[in-house]
Amino acid sequence: MDAAQDLAGLVQPDRVHKSVYTDPAIFELEMARIFGRAWVYVGHDSQIPNAGDYHQALIGRESVFMVRAPDGAVHVLFNRCPHKGSKLVAFPDGNAGKFLRCPFHGWSFRCDGGLHSVPARAGYDGTAFDEANPDFSIRRVPRQASYRGFVFASLAADGEDLEMFLGGIRTSIDNFCDRAPQGEVEVAGGVFRVWQHSNWKIFFENLNDTSHPMVTHESSVNAARAEYKSLPAGGPMPFKLHIIEGNGEPYEFWDKLEMVGYDRGHSFMGAIFKPPTDPVSLAHIETLKAAYGEARTQEILQIQRHNSIIYPSCSPHTSFQQLRVIRPIAVDRTLVEIYTFRLKGAPPEVFQRAVVYANVVNSPSSNVMPDDIEVYNRAHEGLQTDGGDWVSLHRDAGRDRAIPGGFTANGLSELPMRNQFRAWAEYMSAGEGR
Amino acid sequence: MSGLLAEVSAFLFHEARLLDARRWHEWLELFTPDGMYWAPLTHDQPDPVNHVSLFYEDALLRDVRARRLEERRAWSQQPVTQAARIVGNIIVLSAQDDVVVVGSTFHMLEWRRQEHRMLGGQYTHTLRRSGEGWRIALKRIDLINREGVQDTLETFL
Repeated sequence: MDAAQDLAGLVQPDRVHKSVYTDPAIFELEMARIFGRAWVYVGHDSQIPNAGDYHQALIGRESVFMVRAPDGAVHVLFNRCPHKGSKLVAFPDGNAGKFLRCPFHGWSFRCDGGLHSVPARAGYDGTAFDEANPDFSIRRVPRQASYRGFVFASLAADGEDLEMFLGGIRTSIDNFCDRAPQGEVEVAGGVFRVWQHSNWKIFFENLNDTSHPMVTHESSVNAARAEYKSLPAGGPMPFKLHIIEGNGEPYEFWDKLEMVGYDRGHSFMGAIFKPPTDPVSLAHIETLKAAYGEARTQEILQIQRHNSIIYPSCSPHTSFQQLRVIRPIAVDRTLVEIYTFRLKGAPPEVFQRAVVYANVVNSPSSNVMPDDIEVYNRAHEGLQTDGGDWVSLHRDAGRDRAIPGGFTANGLSELPMRNQFRAWAEYMSAGEGR
Repeated sequence: MSGLLAEVSAFLFHEARLLDARRWHEWLELFTPDGMYWAPLTHDQPDPVNHVSLFYEDALLRDVRARRLEERRAWSQQPVTQAARIVGNIIVLSAQDDVVVVGSTFHMLEWRRQEHRMLGGQYTHTLRRSGEGWRIALKRIDLINREGVQDTLETFL
Protein backbone atom coordinates (compact mmCIF):
# COMPACT_ATOMS: atom_id res chain seq x y z
CA MET A 1 0.00 0.00 0.00
CA ASP A 2 1.23 3.45 -0.86
CA ALA A 3 1.13 5.73 2.15
CA ALA A 4 0.43 8.68 -0.11
CA GLN A 5 -3.03 7.23 -0.54
CA ASP A 6 -5.78 8.79 1.53
CA LEU A 7 -4.83 8.08 5.14
CA ALA A 8 -8.32 8.84 6.35
CA GLY A 9 -9.63 5.81 4.49
CA LEU A 10 -7.40 3.51 6.52
CA VAL A 11 -9.25 4.20 9.75
CA GLN A 12 -12.97 3.53 9.90
CA PRO A 13 -15.20 3.68 12.97
CA ASP A 14 -15.07 -0.08 13.53
CA ARG A 15 -12.02 -1.33 11.62
CA VAL A 16 -8.54 -0.27 10.50
CA HIS A 17 -6.50 -1.22 7.49
CA LYS A 18 -3.58 -3.56 8.22
CA SER A 19 -1.08 -1.18 6.61
CA VAL A 20 -1.21 1.14 9.63
CA TYR A 21 0.76 -1.56 11.46
CA THR A 22 3.02 -2.81 8.69
CA ASP A 23 3.79 -0.05 6.17
CA PRO A 24 7.22 1.56 6.80
CA ALA A 25 6.09 4.70 4.96
CA ILE A 26 3.18 5.12 7.37
CA PHE A 27 5.60 4.63 10.27
CA GLU A 28 7.68 7.51 8.85
CA LEU A 29 4.58 9.67 8.73
CA GLU A 30 3.75 8.74 12.34
CA MET A 31 7.20 9.91 13.40
CA ALA A 32 6.55 13.31 11.84
CA ARG A 33 2.86 13.78 12.49
CA ILE A 34 2.27 12.06 15.84
CA PHE A 35 5.67 12.08 17.54
CA GLY A 36 6.50 15.42 15.93
CA ARG A 37 3.48 17.00 17.57
CA ALA A 38 2.19 15.19 20.67
CA TRP A 39 3.42 15.73 24.21
CA VAL A 40 5.75 12.77 24.76
CA TYR A 41 6.83 11.53 28.19
CA VAL A 42 10.52 12.19 28.84
CA GLY A 43 11.03 11.14 32.45
CA HIS A 44 10.25 11.87 36.06
CA ASP A 45 11.64 14.72 38.08
CA SER A 46 12.96 12.28 40.71
CA GLN A 47 15.33 10.66 38.21
CA ILE A 48 17.53 13.77 38.20
CA PRO A 49 17.64 15.01 41.81
CA ASN A 50 21.05 16.75 41.66
CA ALA A 51 22.61 19.44 39.47
CA GLY A 52 24.11 17.85 36.37
CA ASP A 53 21.98 14.70 36.61
CA TYR A 54 20.57 13.67 33.25
CA HIS A 55 18.13 11.10 31.90
CA GLN A 56 18.01 10.11 28.23
CA ALA A 57 14.80 9.61 26.27
CA LEU A 58 13.47 9.27 22.74
CA ILE A 59 10.85 11.52 21.19
CA GLY A 60 10.04 9.67 18.02
CA ARG A 61 13.49 9.28 16.46
CA GLU A 62 15.01 12.17 18.36
CA SER A 63 17.56 11.36 21.05
CA VAL A 64 17.02 13.87 23.84
CA PHE A 65 17.87 14.18 27.50
CA MET A 66 16.54 16.08 30.46
CA VAL A 67 19.12 17.60 32.74
CA ARG A 68 19.00 19.37 36.12
CA ALA A 69 20.60 22.82 36.19
CA PRO A 70 22.33 24.22 39.31
CA ASP A 71 19.30 26.48 39.91
CA GLY A 72 17.06 23.40 40.06
CA ALA A 73 15.41 23.94 36.68
CA VAL A 74 14.95 20.99 34.31
CA HIS A 75 15.90 21.41 30.65
CA VAL A 76 15.05 19.05 27.80
CA LEU A 77 17.78 19.18 25.15
CA PHE A 78 18.68 17.40 21.93
CA ASN A 79 21.56 14.99 22.47
CA ARG A 80 23.78 16.63 19.86
CA CYS A 81 26.79 18.89 20.04
CA PRO A 82 26.34 21.94 17.78
CA HIS A 83 30.02 21.71 16.77
CA LYS A 84 30.39 18.39 14.92
CA GLY A 85 27.19 16.63 15.91
CA SER A 86 28.51 14.16 18.45
CA LYS A 87 26.08 12.85 21.04
CA LEU A 88 26.82 14.50 24.37
CA VAL A 89 25.59 12.02 26.97
CA ALA A 90 26.12 8.28 26.77
CA PHE A 91 24.35 6.49 29.61
CA PRO A 92 20.58 6.11 30.04
CA ASP A 93 21.07 8.01 33.32
CA GLY A 94 24.11 9.79 34.66
CA ASN A 95 25.67 12.98 35.91
CA ALA A 96 27.28 15.38 33.47
CA GLY A 97 29.13 17.38 36.11
CA LYS A 98 29.07 21.16 36.29
CA PHE A 99 29.02 21.58 32.53
CA LEU A 100 28.04 19.35 29.63
CA ARG A 101 31.34 18.73 27.88
CA CYS A 102 31.43 17.20 24.41
CA PRO A 103 33.74 14.14 24.31
CA PHE A 104 34.95 14.99 20.79
CA HIS A 105 36.51 18.51 20.88
CA GLY A 106 35.70 19.72 24.35
CA TRP A 107 33.08 22.37 23.69
CA SER A 108 31.23 22.80 26.95
CA PHE A 109 27.70 23.91 27.71
CA ARG A 110 25.61 25.02 30.64
CA CYS A 111 22.77 22.76 31.74
CA ASP A 112 20.28 24.98 29.91
CA GLY A 113 22.15 24.14 26.70
CA GLY A 114 23.85 27.53 26.37
CA LEU A 115 27.46 27.54 25.13
CA HIS A 116 29.91 27.95 27.99
CA SER A 117 33.29 27.75 26.31
CA VAL A 118 35.23 26.46 23.32
CA PRO A 119 38.93 25.53 23.45
CA ALA A 120 41.42 27.77 21.60
CA ARG A 121 38.83 30.52 21.31
CA ALA A 122 41.12 32.91 19.41
CA GLY A 123 40.75 30.85 16.25
CA TYR A 124 37.15 31.98 15.99
CA ASP A 125 37.97 35.71 16.18
CA GLY A 126 36.78 37.47 13.10
CA THR A 127 34.68 34.49 11.92
CA ALA A 128 30.90 34.11 11.87
CA PHE A 129 31.11 32.10 15.10
CA ASP A 130 28.99 33.87 17.72
CA GLU A 131 28.36 32.74 21.30
CA ALA A 132 25.06 34.59 21.29
CA ASN A 133 23.79 32.75 18.22
CA PRO A 134 21.68 29.76 19.33
CA ASP A 135 23.17 27.73 16.47
CA PHE A 136 26.26 27.38 18.66
CA SER A 137 24.37 26.13 21.70
CA ILE A 138 22.68 22.78 22.31
CA ARG A 139 19.26 22.94 20.72
CA ARG A 140 16.39 22.87 23.16
CA VAL A 141 13.34 20.74 22.51
CA PRO A 142 10.75 23.35 21.45
CA ARG A 143 8.34 22.83 24.35
CA GLN A 144 8.59 21.12 27.73
CA ALA A 145 6.25 21.00 30.69
CA SER A 146 5.71 18.84 33.71
CA TYR A 147 2.65 17.62 35.54
CA ARG A 148 3.18 16.58 39.18
CA GLY A 149 6.79 15.67 38.43
CA PHE A 150 6.12 13.84 35.14
CA VAL A 151 8.12 15.67 32.48
CA PHE A 152 6.80 15.78 28.92
CA ALA A 153 8.15 17.51 25.80
CA SER A 154 6.87 18.31 22.35
CA LEU A 155 8.85 18.74 19.15
CA ALA A 156 6.20 21.19 17.90
CA ALA A 157 6.71 24.86 18.71
CA ASP A 158 2.97 25.48 18.82
CA GLY A 159 0.00 23.59 20.13
CA GLU A 160 -2.18 23.01 23.14
CA ASP A 161 -0.53 23.04 26.55
CA LEU A 162 0.26 19.85 28.49
CA GLU A 163 -2.77 19.96 30.78
CA MET A 164 -5.11 20.46 27.85
CA PHE A 165 -3.39 17.56 26.05
CA LEU A 166 -3.75 15.25 29.06
CA GLY A 167 -7.40 16.16 29.58
CA GLY A 168 -9.27 13.63 31.68
CA ILE A 169 -6.33 11.24 32.03
CA ARG A 170 -4.79 13.74 34.44
CA THR A 171 -6.92 12.00 37.05
CA SER A 172 -4.75 8.88 36.70
CA ILE A 173 -1.55 10.87 37.34
CA ASP A 174 -3.29 12.64 40.22
CA ASN A 175 -4.38 9.38 41.80
CA PHE A 176 -0.89 7.92 41.29
CA CYS A 177 0.59 10.81 43.32
CA ASP A 178 -2.29 11.14 45.80
CA ARG A 179 -1.67 7.55 46.90
CA ALA A 180 1.57 8.83 48.44
CA PRO A 181 1.02 10.28 51.92
CA GLN A 182 3.35 13.11 50.87
CA GLY A 183 1.55 13.58 47.55
CA GLU A 184 4.65 12.77 45.51
CA VAL A 185 6.16 9.70 43.87
CA GLU A 186 9.73 8.89 42.91
CA VAL A 187 11.33 6.47 40.48
CA ALA A 188 13.18 3.70 42.33
CA GLY A 189 14.35 0.14 42.08
CA GLY A 190 15.64 -0.06 38.51
CA VAL A 191 14.08 -0.28 35.08
CA PHE A 192 13.34 -3.23 32.81
CA ARG A 193 13.97 -2.60 29.12
CA VAL A 194 12.26 -4.99 26.71
CA TRP A 195 12.12 -5.48 22.95
CA GLN A 196 8.85 -6.17 21.21
CA HIS A 197 9.17 -7.31 17.58
CA SER A 198 5.91 -5.74 16.59
CA ASN A 199 4.36 -2.38 15.83
CA TRP A 200 4.01 0.01 18.78
CA LYS A 201 0.25 0.36 18.36
CA ILE A 202 -0.28 -3.36 18.97
CA PHE A 203 1.03 -2.91 22.51
CA PHE A 204 -0.97 0.26 23.12
CA GLU A 205 -4.15 -1.52 22.08
CA ASN A 206 -3.33 -4.44 24.33
CA LEU A 207 -2.98 -2.31 27.46
CA ASN A 208 -6.75 -1.89 27.77
CA ASP A 209 -7.72 -5.07 25.91
CA THR A 210 -9.92 -7.02 28.31
CA SER A 211 -10.74 -9.89 26.00
CA HIS A 212 -7.16 -11.17 25.72
CA PRO A 213 -6.12 -12.10 29.31
CA MET A 214 -7.98 -15.40 29.68
CA VAL A 215 -6.81 -16.54 26.24
CA THR A 216 -3.29 -15.15 25.87
CA HIS A 217 -2.38 -15.95 29.47
CA GLU A 218 -3.98 -19.37 29.81
CA SER A 219 -0.60 -20.99 30.47
CA SER A 220 0.36 -18.83 33.45
CA VAL A 221 -3.19 -18.79 34.84
CA ASN A 222 -3.30 -22.60 34.74
CA ALA A 223 0.13 -22.85 36.31
CA ALA A 224 -0.79 -20.46 39.15
CA ARG A 225 -4.07 -22.29 39.80
CA ALA A 226 -2.37 -25.68 39.83
CA GLU A 227 0.24 -24.32 42.22
CA TYR A 228 -2.46 -22.97 44.54
CA LYS A 229 -4.18 -26.35 44.55
CA SER A 230 -0.91 -27.99 45.57
CA LEU A 231 -0.71 -25.80 48.69
CA PRO A 232 -2.34 -26.79 52.00
CA ALA A 233 -6.08 -26.34 51.48
CA GLY A 234 -8.03 -23.40 52.87
CA GLY A 235 -5.29 -20.77 52.91
CA PRO A 236 -5.58 -17.49 51.03
CA MET A 237 -3.99 -17.35 47.59
CA PRO A 238 -0.48 -15.87 47.96
CA PHE A 239 -0.10 -12.41 46.39
CA LYS A 240 2.46 -13.75 43.89
CA LEU A 241 -0.09 -16.23 42.57
CA HIS A 242 -3.05 -13.87 42.79
CA ILE A 243 -1.51 -11.34 40.39
CA ILE A 244 -0.85 -14.08 37.83
CA GLU A 245 -4.16 -15.85 38.33
CA GLY A 246 -6.20 -12.63 37.99
CA ASN A 247 -5.89 -12.86 34.21
CA GLY A 248 -8.08 -15.94 34.32
CA GLU A 249 -11.25 -14.14 35.38
CA PRO A 250 -14.24 -14.92 33.14
CA TYR A 251 -15.66 -12.55 30.50
CA GLU A 252 -18.51 -11.42 32.80
CA PHE A 253 -15.93 -10.13 35.28
CA TRP A 254 -14.14 -8.01 32.71
CA ASP A 255 -17.35 -6.71 31.19
CA LYS A 256 -18.34 -5.15 34.52
CA LEU A 257 -15.18 -3.00 34.65
CA GLU A 258 -15.36 0.67 33.83
CA MET A 259 -13.77 1.62 30.51
CA VAL A 260 -13.16 5.30 29.76
CA GLY A 261 -11.55 6.92 26.72
CA TYR A 262 -10.56 10.57 26.45
CA ASP A 263 -9.59 12.80 23.55
CA ARG A 264 -6.03 12.40 22.17
CA GLY A 265 -6.22 8.61 22.55
CA HIS A 266 -5.93 8.41 26.34
CA SER A 267 -7.95 5.86 28.32
CA PHE A 268 -8.12 3.78 31.47
CA MET A 269 -9.79 0.62 32.68
CA GLY A 270 -11.10 -0.08 36.16
CA ALA A 271 -9.05 -2.13 38.60
CA ILE A 272 -9.13 -5.89 38.26
CA PHE A 273 -7.94 -6.63 41.78
CA LYS A 274 -10.37 -6.40 44.68
CA PRO A 275 -10.15 -3.53 47.18
CA PRO A 276 -7.17 -4.57 49.27
CA THR A 277 -7.56 -5.79 52.84
CA ASP A 278 -4.12 -7.35 53.28
CA PRO A 279 -1.69 -6.08 55.97
CA VAL A 280 0.48 -4.16 53.48
CA SER A 281 -2.50 -2.25 52.10
CA LEU A 282 -3.97 -1.64 55.54
CA ALA A 283 -0.67 -0.16 56.79
CA HIS A 284 -0.56 2.02 53.66
CA ILE A 285 -4.13 3.19 54.26
CA GLU A 286 -3.23 4.15 57.83
CA THR A 287 -0.45 6.43 56.57
CA LEU A 288 -2.90 8.01 54.12
CA LYS A 289 -5.45 8.65 56.86
CA ALA A 290 -2.76 10.26 59.01
CA ALA A 291 -1.80 12.54 56.12
CA TYR A 292 -5.17 13.33 54.55
CA GLY A 293 -7.89 12.40 57.04
CA GLU A 294 -10.59 9.77 56.66
CA ALA A 295 -12.79 11.41 54.03
CA ARG A 296 -10.02 12.39 51.62
CA THR A 297 -8.41 8.95 52.02
CA GLN A 298 -11.65 7.26 50.99
CA GLU A 299 -11.89 9.61 48.01
CA ILE A 300 -8.38 8.63 46.90
CA LEU A 301 -8.94 4.90 47.37
CA GLN A 302 -12.27 4.94 45.58
CA ILE A 303 -10.33 5.48 42.37
CA GLN A 304 -9.09 1.96 41.56
CA ARG A 305 -7.58 1.61 38.11
CA HIS A 306 -5.69 -1.00 36.16
CA ASN A 307 -3.70 0.29 33.15
CA SER A 308 -4.11 3.90 32.10
CA ILE A 309 -2.92 5.03 28.69
CA ILE A 310 -1.29 8.37 27.97
CA TYR A 311 -1.15 8.14 24.20
CA PRO A 312 1.30 7.84 22.46
CA SER A 313 4.11 7.42 24.97
CA CYS A 314 3.32 5.83 28.33
CA SER A 315 1.01 3.83 30.57
CA PRO A 316 0.81 4.23 34.36
CA HIS A 317 -0.49 1.51 36.66
CA THR A 318 -1.54 3.55 39.66
CA SER A 319 -2.32 0.86 42.21
CA PHE A 320 0.99 -1.00 41.73
CA GLN A 321 3.08 2.15 41.14
CA GLN A 322 4.37 1.37 37.71
CA LEU A 323 4.91 3.30 34.50
CA ARG A 324 5.55 1.65 31.19
CA VAL A 325 7.15 3.87 28.56
CA ILE A 326 6.65 2.92 24.92
CA ARG A 327 9.19 3.96 22.26
CA PRO A 328 8.57 3.04 18.61
CA ILE A 329 11.95 2.16 17.06
CA ALA A 330 10.87 0.85 13.65
CA VAL A 331 7.61 -0.25 12.05
CA ASP A 332 8.19 -3.74 13.51
CA ARG A 333 10.26 -2.92 16.60
CA THR A 334 9.21 -1.33 19.88
CA LEU A 335 11.18 -0.58 23.02
CA VAL A 336 9.26 -0.74 26.30
CA GLU A 337 10.72 0.56 29.55
CA ILE A 338 9.12 -0.49 32.84
CA TYR A 339 9.67 1.85 35.78
CA THR A 340 8.66 1.25 39.38
CA PHE A 341 7.84 4.16 41.69
CA ARG A 342 7.96 4.67 45.43
CA LEU A 343 5.06 6.47 47.12
CA LYS A 344 6.76 9.05 49.32
CA GLY A 345 5.74 8.57 52.93
CA ALA A 346 4.24 5.09 52.46
CA PRO A 347 5.62 2.04 54.34
CA PRO A 348 8.57 0.33 52.58
CA GLU A 349 6.47 -2.82 52.12
CA VAL A 350 4.24 -0.96 49.66
CA PHE A 351 7.21 -0.32 47.39
CA GLN A 352 8.50 -3.87 47.87
CA ARG A 353 5.12 -5.17 46.74
CA ALA A 354 5.36 -3.02 43.61
CA VAL A 355 8.77 -4.61 42.95
CA VAL A 356 7.20 -8.07 43.25
CA TYR A 357 4.41 -7.05 40.86
CA ALA A 358 6.95 -5.80 38.30
CA ASN A 359 9.04 -8.96 38.60
CA VAL A 360 6.15 -11.41 38.50
CA VAL A 361 3.83 -9.82 35.95
CA ASN A 362 5.57 -7.30 33.73
CA SER A 363 9.23 -8.23 33.49
CA PRO A 364 10.70 -9.75 30.31
CA SER A 365 11.47 -12.80 32.45
CA SER A 366 8.03 -13.11 34.03
CA ASN A 367 5.64 -15.99 33.40
CA VAL A 368 3.10 -13.55 31.95
CA MET A 369 4.76 -11.21 29.47
CA PRO A 370 6.34 -13.80 27.13
CA ASP A 371 2.90 -14.91 25.96
CA ASP A 372 1.96 -11.26 25.29
CA ILE A 373 5.12 -10.66 23.27
CA GLU A 374 4.54 -13.88 21.35
CA VAL A 375 1.00 -12.98 20.30
CA TYR A 376 2.03 -9.42 19.35
CA ASN A 377 4.73 -10.97 17.21
CA ARG A 378 2.28 -13.37 15.61
CA ALA A 379 -0.13 -10.50 14.95
CA HIS A 380 2.60 -8.47 13.30
CA GLU A 381 3.60 -11.41 11.10
CA GLY A 382 0.03 -12.36 10.26
CA LEU A 383 -0.85 -8.80 9.28
CA GLN A 384 1.79 -8.96 6.55
CA THR A 385 0.07 -11.82 4.75
CA ASP A 386 -2.54 -11.51 2.02
CA GLY A 387 -5.04 -13.29 4.22
CA GLY A 388 -7.08 -10.13 4.69
CA ASP A 389 -6.84 -6.36 4.69
CA TRP A 390 -8.68 -5.24 7.82
CA VAL A 391 -8.41 -5.48 11.59
CA SER A 392 -11.69 -5.65 13.48
CA LEU A 393 -12.63 -3.17 16.21
CA HIS A 394 -16.29 -4.19 16.26
CA ARG A 395 -16.81 -5.28 19.86
CA ASP A 396 -19.51 -2.96 21.26
CA ALA A 397 -18.93 -0.51 18.40
CA GLY A 398 -21.57 2.20 18.17
CA ARG A 399 -22.46 1.85 21.86
CA ASP A 400 -19.85 4.19 23.36
CA ARG A 401 -21.53 6.77 25.61
CA ALA A 402 -20.32 10.36 25.45
CA ILE A 403 -18.94 11.98 28.63
CA PRO A 404 -17.18 15.35 28.93
CA GLY A 405 -13.92 15.05 26.97
CA GLY A 406 -14.45 11.46 25.86
CA PHE A 407 -16.49 8.29 25.99
CA THR A 408 -17.28 5.46 28.37
CA ALA A 409 -18.36 1.86 27.82
CA ASN A 410 -18.65 -1.61 29.30
CA GLY A 411 -15.40 -3.35 30.21
CA LEU A 412 -15.20 -5.69 27.24
CA SER A 413 -15.76 -2.89 24.76
CA GLU A 414 -13.01 -2.18 22.23
CA LEU A 415 -13.60 1.50 22.92
CA PRO A 416 -9.93 2.18 23.84
CA MET A 417 -8.75 0.89 20.45
CA ARG A 418 -11.32 2.92 18.53
CA ASN A 419 -10.43 5.88 20.71
CA GLN A 420 -6.72 5.52 19.89
CA PHE A 421 -7.44 5.41 16.19
CA ARG A 422 -9.69 8.45 16.46
CA ALA A 423 -6.66 10.33 17.83
CA TRP A 424 -4.34 8.66 15.32
CA ALA A 425 -6.47 9.85 12.41
CA GLU A 426 -6.57 13.38 13.82
CA TYR A 427 -2.79 13.54 14.16
CA MET A 428 -2.16 11.95 10.77
CA SER A 429 -4.51 14.27 8.90
CA ALA A 430 -3.17 17.42 10.60
CA GLY A 431 0.21 17.42 8.86
CA GLU A 432 3.65 17.64 10.32
CA GLY A 433 4.13 18.94 13.82
CA ARG A 434 7.23 20.93 12.98
CA MET B 1 41.46 -31.45 41.01
CA SER B 2 40.76 -31.53 44.72
CA GLY B 3 38.02 -33.75 46.05
CA LEU B 4 35.69 -30.85 46.85
CA LEU B 5 36.23 -29.10 43.51
CA ALA B 6 35.60 -32.36 41.64
CA GLU B 7 32.48 -32.96 43.68
CA VAL B 8 30.90 -29.54 43.10
CA SER B 9 31.97 -29.56 39.44
CA ALA B 10 30.13 -32.84 38.94
CA PHE B 11 27.11 -31.27 40.62
CA LEU B 12 27.15 -28.23 38.30
CA PHE B 13 27.52 -30.43 35.21
CA HIS B 14 24.60 -32.55 36.36
CA GLU B 15 22.52 -29.44 36.95
CA ALA B 16 23.36 -28.08 33.48
CA ARG B 17 22.36 -31.38 31.92
CA LEU B 18 18.97 -31.36 33.64
CA LEU B 19 18.30 -27.81 32.44
CA ASP B 20 19.40 -28.51 28.86
CA ALA B 21 17.08 -31.52 28.84
CA ARG B 22 14.15 -29.47 30.23
CA ARG B 23 13.89 -31.89 33.14
CA TRP B 24 12.51 -29.04 35.27
CA HIS B 25 11.03 -31.03 38.10
CA GLU B 26 14.22 -32.96 38.74
CA TRP B 27 16.07 -29.66 38.69
CA LEU B 28 13.65 -28.15 41.24
CA GLU B 29 14.56 -31.01 43.58
CA LEU B 30 18.15 -29.77 43.66
CA PHE B 31 17.14 -26.78 45.81
CA THR B 32 16.84 -26.61 49.58
CA PRO B 33 13.21 -25.87 50.62
CA ASP B 34 14.13 -22.22 51.25
CA GLY B 35 16.53 -22.01 48.32
CA MET B 36 16.43 -18.94 46.06
CA TYR B 37 17.05 -18.40 42.37
CA TRP B 38 18.25 -14.86 41.63
CA ALA B 39 19.34 -13.02 38.50
CA PRO B 40 20.06 -9.36 39.34
CA LEU B 41 19.17 -6.68 36.79
CA THR B 42 22.15 -4.40 37.32
CA HIS B 43 25.84 -4.69 38.06
CA ASP B 44 25.60 -2.91 41.39
CA GLN B 45 22.16 -4.10 42.48
CA PRO B 46 22.03 -3.73 46.27
CA ASP B 47 19.38 -6.36 46.99
CA PRO B 48 16.51 -8.29 45.42
CA VAL B 49 13.79 -6.80 47.63
CA ASN B 50 14.03 -3.07 46.92
CA HIS B 51 15.07 -3.42 43.29
CA VAL B 52 13.61 -5.32 40.35
CA SER B 53 15.44 -8.46 39.19
CA LEU B 54 15.36 -10.58 36.07
CA PHE B 55 14.58 -13.49 38.39
CA TYR B 56 14.00 -13.59 42.11
CA GLU B 57 12.15 -16.83 42.66
CA ASP B 58 11.44 -18.96 45.70
CA ALA B 59 10.18 -22.54 45.52
CA LEU B 60 6.61 -21.35 44.82
CA LEU B 61 7.55 -19.18 41.82
CA ARG B 62 10.03 -21.73 40.45
CA ASP B 63 7.28 -24.31 40.59
CA VAL B 64 4.88 -22.01 38.71
CA ARG B 65 7.49 -21.42 36.02
CA ALA B 66 8.14 -25.15 35.59
CA ARG B 67 4.41 -25.82 35.37
CA ARG B 68 3.88 -23.08 32.81
CA LEU B 69 6.70 -24.29 30.57
CA GLU B 70 4.79 -27.56 30.22
CA GLU B 71 1.38 -26.02 29.54
CA ARG B 72 -0.04 -26.92 26.15
CA ARG B 73 -1.11 -23.33 25.51
CA ALA B 74 2.09 -21.60 26.50
CA TRP B 75 2.10 -19.74 23.17
CA SER B 76 5.66 -18.56 23.51
CA GLN B 77 6.79 -22.16 23.94
CA GLN B 78 5.46 -23.20 20.54
CA PRO B 79 7.99 -24.50 19.72
CA VAL B 80 9.81 -24.86 23.01
CA THR B 81 13.17 -23.24 23.69
CA GLN B 82 16.08 -25.62 23.16
CA ALA B 83 19.29 -24.94 24.99
CA ALA B 84 22.84 -26.21 25.38
CA ARG B 85 25.21 -24.75 27.92
CA ILE B 86 28.80 -25.10 28.90
CA VAL B 87 29.83 -24.44 32.50
CA GLY B 88 33.51 -23.76 33.08
CA ASN B 89 36.10 -21.86 35.10
CA ILE B 90 34.68 -23.51 38.19
CA ILE B 91 36.26 -22.30 41.40
CA VAL B 92 35.48 -22.82 45.07
CA LEU B 93 35.12 -19.31 46.49
CA SER B 94 34.62 -20.37 50.06
CA ALA B 95 34.01 -23.54 52.01
CA GLN B 96 32.85 -23.69 55.58
CA ASP B 97 31.37 -26.66 57.37
CA ASP B 98 28.58 -27.88 55.11
CA VAL B 99 28.27 -24.75 52.97
CA VAL B 100 30.34 -24.05 49.89
CA VAL B 101 30.17 -21.11 47.49
CA VAL B 102 31.10 -21.97 43.92
CA GLY B 103 31.79 -19.54 41.10
CA SER B 104 31.61 -20.49 37.43
CA THR B 105 31.21 -19.02 33.96
CA PHE B 106 28.54 -20.23 31.56
CA HIS B 107 27.81 -19.95 27.87
CA MET B 108 24.33 -20.91 26.85
CA LEU B 109 23.07 -21.30 23.30
CA GLU B 110 19.31 -21.11 22.81
CA TRP B 111 17.22 -21.89 19.79
CA ARG B 112 13.58 -21.12 19.14
CA ARG B 113 11.59 -20.15 16.05
CA GLN B 114 14.56 -20.39 13.69
CA GLU B 115 16.64 -18.09 15.82
CA HIS B 116 19.76 -18.75 17.85
CA ARG B 117 20.54 -16.66 20.88
CA MET B 118 23.75 -16.58 22.90
CA LEU B 119 23.52 -15.94 26.62
CA GLY B 120 26.42 -15.87 29.00
CA GLY B 121 27.62 -14.77 32.37
CA GLN B 122 28.62 -15.95 35.79
CA TYR B 123 26.92 -18.43 38.08
CA THR B 124 27.45 -18.27 41.82
CA HIS B 125 26.07 -21.29 43.64
CA THR B 126 25.74 -21.44 47.40
CA LEU B 127 25.54 -25.17 48.05
CA ARG B 128 24.61 -26.93 51.25
CA ARG B 129 25.49 -30.52 51.97
CA SER B 130 22.51 -32.66 52.90
CA GLY B 131 21.82 -36.34 53.39
CA GLU B 132 21.00 -36.60 49.67
CA GLY B 133 24.11 -34.77 48.50
CA TRP B 134 24.56 -31.10 47.58
CA ARG B 135 21.53 -28.84 47.54
CA ILE B 136 21.26 -25.27 46.18
CA ALA B 137 20.61 -22.62 48.84
CA LEU B 138 21.14 -19.80 46.34
CA LYS B 139 21.78 -19.82 42.62
CA ARG B 140 22.80 -16.38 41.44
CA ILE B 141 23.07 -15.65 37.72
CA ASP B 142 24.85 -12.52 36.53
CA LEU B 143 24.14 -12.22 32.81
CA ILE B 144 26.72 -10.06 31.06
CA ASN B 145 23.95 -8.15 29.25
CA ARG B 146 21.67 -7.81 32.26
CA GLU B 147 21.50 -4.03 31.93
CA GLY B 148 20.59 -4.15 28.26
CA VAL B 149 17.28 -4.26 26.44
CA GLN B 150 16.00 -7.81 26.88
CA ASP B 151 14.15 -10.25 24.75
CA THR B 152 12.03 -12.53 26.88
CA LEU B 153 13.68 -15.02 29.23
CA GLU B 154 11.34 -17.93 29.91
CA THR B 155 13.28 -20.99 30.90
CA PHE B 156 15.63 -21.30 33.84
CA LEU B 157 19.16 -20.08 33.14
